[in-house]
Amino acid sequence: MTTRTSPNSISTEQTYWDDVREGDLIEGYDLTLDWTKMVEQVSGSQDFYPVHHDPEFAAEAGHPAIFYNTGWTQAALCRVVTDWAGPAGWMSKFRFEMRRMNIPDDEVHARGKVVGKSDLDDDHGLVDLEVWLENDRLGVTTPGWATVRLPRRK
Amino acid sequence: MVRVEGRYDIEAIRGEWIGRKTDLVPGRYPVEYDSIRRHCHMVEDTNPLFLDPEYGKASEHGAVIAPPVMTRYFAGAGVWPPSADNQVSMLLSVPTRGERNINLNTEWEYLLPARVGDHLASQTEVTDIYEKSIKLDPRSIWVVTETRITNQNGELVAVGTNTLCTHRTPEQVEAEEGERPL
Repeated sequence: MTTRTSPNSISTEQTYWDDVREGDLIEGYDLTLDWTKMVEQVSGSQDFYPVHHDPEFAAEAGHPAIFYNTGWTQAALCRVVTDWAGPAGWMSKFRFEMRRMNIPDDEVHARGKVVGKSDLDDDHGLVDLEVWLENDRLGVTTPGWATVRLPRRK
Repeated sequence: MVRVEGRYDIEAIRGEWIGRKTDLVPGRYPVEYDSIRRHCHMVEDTNPLFLDPEYGKASEHGAVIAPPVMTRYFAGAGVWPPSADNQVSMLLSVPTRGERNINLNTEWEYLLPARVGDHLASQTEVTDIYEKSIKLDPRSIWVVTETRITNQNGELVAVGTNTLCTHRTPEQVEAEEGERPL
């Protein structure tokens, strides 16, 4: 099952633990990394390390281009989880690995998949997710994993 | 990071730095609306839990909350430029071979939400330093830190581990290793 897409959703729809199935796909959303988006990543993360906005500085360090920073990356992955979980969901664990780079002009796709679920208490259950960023040049650049606490249906 | 030119004694540096921690450092500002708005804007996140005061007030949290991954932001120096007394910068004094950084692996456990108005604080400890070859630098230095974040009530909000790779420029590698990487 592919769960709802989120690009234009208001993220207020609640996901219930009872309805989730292992293997469910989270359609996620897409971002185009134009130069406006590059500026937004610096503004939003307040990470002014030049390797993320100064092509000459990045080249001096041996990189082919500036690359998007940790703050932007974790925000992009977190949105996959919080959009999906709904207002009463809570992302209790989260990790990710910045294996490859997202750079200007990339088309980035943020996606997810349910990989497990377990009981927690009478009112909640836990769901394990794989989430990732991929781009059209390299495929998956940033794998991530999250555990989400979801409400049970009453 | 502080670049060490010439002999780099990793065992001595591990002995000196692993276990070193900052004091509990208060975040520069409380959790605030506009930083959350800019964070959401960069990934086109429209979630009202993070953006709408009325929606947040009516939610189980009773207020707008920060996306969990912003917890570290509000427990640190926050907006640019960093304040001069930012003690977290102590960790930037770890001696390394290069001054160029790539943040690699990040892992967090989020225990409580950070609500607008909360005042967070963090304490960070160096937990590991090791050498590993990467394409850019055959002897890059990796620094692992653990950060514990608390709120104004002393409650533990989040615990995170971060792995930072530090490396030299290709020119520095060529000068010190006799061979240019890549």
